[in-house]
Amino acid sequence: MSANFPTRPSLTRRGALQLFGLGAAATALGGCMPTSGGASPQGSAGLSGAGPTDFKFASWSLTEAAAAPALEQIIDGYEAKQGVKVAPTSFPYNEYINQLTLQIKGGQFTGAAHVDVAWLGSLAAMGKLQDLSSLAEGRGYTDAALAAARFDGVQYALPWTIGAIGLVSNAEMLQKVGVAPDGFPTTIDGFEKTLKDLKALGGGIIPYAASTKAAQLKDVLIWMQTFGSPLVDGDTVTIGDDASVEAVTWYKSLYDQGLISPDVDRFDARSLFSQGRAAIYDDAPVGRNAVTKESPDANLASKLNPVARPVLKQGDKPRALVWGGAIAVVDGDGAATAGDFAQFATSDLDTVLGDYAVRGLPPATAEALESDKVASDAFGSLFSERITATATTNPLWAFTSYSQVESEIANRVQAVLVGSAKPADAMKAAGEAAQKLVR
Amino acid sequence: MKERTPRKAPALRADRPGVRVAAWASVIVCGGFGLLPVYWLLATSLTPRDQVFSYPPRLFPSEVSFEAYASLFSNSQLFTYMQNSIIVSVVTAVLSVIVSAYMGYSFSKFRYTGRRALMYFVLASQMFPQALLLVTLYTVFSAYGLLNTYTALVLSFTTFTLPLCVWMLKGFFDTIPNELIEAALMDGASRLRIIHSIVLPLSAPGMVAAGLFAFVRGWNDFIFALTLAGPDKQTLPPGLVNTYVGEAATAWPELMAASLVVSLPVALAFILLQRFLVSGMTAGAVKG
Repeated sequence: MSANFPTRPSLTRRGALQLFGLGAAATALGGCMPTSGGASPQGSAGLSGAGPTDFKFASWSLTEAAAAPALEQIIDGYEAKQGVKVAPTSFPYNEYINQLTLQIKGGQFTGAAHVDVAWLGSLAAMGKLQDLSSLAEGRGYTDAALAAARFDGVQYALPWTIGAIGLVSNAEMLQKVGVAPDGFPTTIDGFEKTLKDLKALGGGIIPYAASTKAAQLKDVLIWMQTFGSPLVDGDTVTIGDDASVEAVTWYKSLYDQGLISPDVDRFDARSLFSQGRAAIYDDAPVGRNAVTKESPDANLASKLNPVARPVLKQGDKPRALVWGGAIAVVDGDGAATAGDFAQFATSDLDTVLGDYAVRGLPPATAEALESDKVASDAFGSLFSERITATATTNPLWAFTSYSQVESEIANRVQAVLVGSAKPADAMKAAGEAAQKLVR
Repeated sequence: MKERTPRKAPALRADRPGVRVAAWASVIVCGGFGLLPVYWLLATSLTPRDQVFSYPPRLFPSEVSFEAYASLFSNSQLFTYMQNSIIVSVVTAVLSVIVSAYMGYSFSKFRYTGRRALMYFVLASQMFPQALLLVTLYTVFSAYGLLNTYTALVLSFTTFTLPLCVWMLKGFFDTIPNELIEAALMDGASRLRIIHSIVLPLSAPGMVAAGLFAFVRGWNDFIFALTLAGPDKQTLPPGLVNTYVGEAATAWPELMAASLVVSLPVALAFILLQRFLVSGMTAGAVKG
């Protein structure tokens, strides 16, 4: 090394070659790094163990102020019952699936994991989830709840809080346009007329705070199904068919008439609804606490009225999207006890009712649903009866890339809404892009 | 031939009323642009939760509530997050400055085979989307048992701060006259002596600027801290999101109160060290 003082550096051909050489060496070194072990075969062998052992439990709700007391109560109850220690792991909801996937793939996480039922396909593809069908037997789970936590015929999780995403309305606002709490329009034509009547009330009311931001425009899928699109037929994405085009054309007409508003996602819709600026929006039961707590109207809770989604023609079945949480078991240390914990948390009556008292989310067993505590909740009962009863899972969830598929569709629907694409062209392009992703 | 003298542009007289009004208007607009978000943060933190989204939005809360601050200071977990943030950010800053000082000096004052390629390689590493490196770092740290440790956070943050720190300090060292080093060499000083007794003391502003940059990088990071730290070593950004941003709702007043409080150490550091920061960042911008 000599102390020659350089002039202004410039990237010569020789320098570039040296740079690429270094890059190649670094890449090769990276490739030599140890990797985690491969996926173990699916099954339920991991559920048998000698006795209770400590295990990990992951949930996004463990640190949420509103939900944490319910989960702490469950964990404390189980630790006292079995004399084991439950190690909690938590990530924010929006980051949860990525973090959990990384931890499972890297072998850092085994045990019980709170999962959204939409994620089951992606998680099952890793080959580390246990088949919990033996734990589901004889515990009184409803068939619909079990089906929600099943993927590809395998019971990958035990249902915990199963509901749906449906329309929630403000009964008081609807009464102003002559719509009684049990007289919500049943067809799309009637629905659109009601939206126009609500707009005519003036005062800047947004009749329907439907999702219009790309991040939440996957909500339009349920309208596509309402218009008759199956979304998926076997391994083929059917978006681009007449029904999906018709649905997006209708959605755009609502947008152009000002019956739905630009730049709205779920959080915005809750805020608008809680402030009395929107009459109808889409939500799951979990949104109830958020809208009532943020509202200046102390009586908003009593005005919440869940309603069935209107259908294209009389006689059609109202569509709703299954929503819910379940507990899956990741094979490895503590899996057997984690399975027992999953069963305890989701089906032990006292535990479930204690949880319901704090979180207010619909339980998954018939016994809990029929109990006085749950049945006496008018909002919960109506939600189950009018929305959850006809809810189905999203057919796109069957694909591990469902999230990217939904984004592709949402981006193209947004292009239609802002007028930069025609519904037919946009949906054809969305279908083709989605098909490439699911291959 | 007579040389033409350039015509002097008419000077802007600061005492002219129009100029003064324009200057003050600019200050107010720019100040408002910078300070309004901070004001909104403060106003939201003092607003009761059921009025946060009131319509039309209010510039001043109709009712002032200190509930968010009370809840903040009664949550001991937040102090753990803060302690972790301070440890990780300070160590990242110190490590980044030490390593980048030697690297920058080497690039600035020595000539050796591969020097330029190395310099650009260091810079190129800054061009990668950091999220891409997350999985790789996670795997490497996992293999070496470093997950859920301060070491994992410090190493990953230092990885990202080094390129800019190295180039920043190299620019600073470039401004130190070579004659000064040659004179020290002739007086018999060793290379290490020259670095430690002459170059580094002269480069203090650059080192402070580099250190501040590294500190802020460590203080603000979300995704690496969330992924690599684990529950015990979690820093403030993921800690606050975990605490206040839920599946269905966000506790805005509490989140804003916490954000305001935790930004104070960084703001204080900037106020105390801003003169170093400005001179450090601009060093090497002009020759001579």
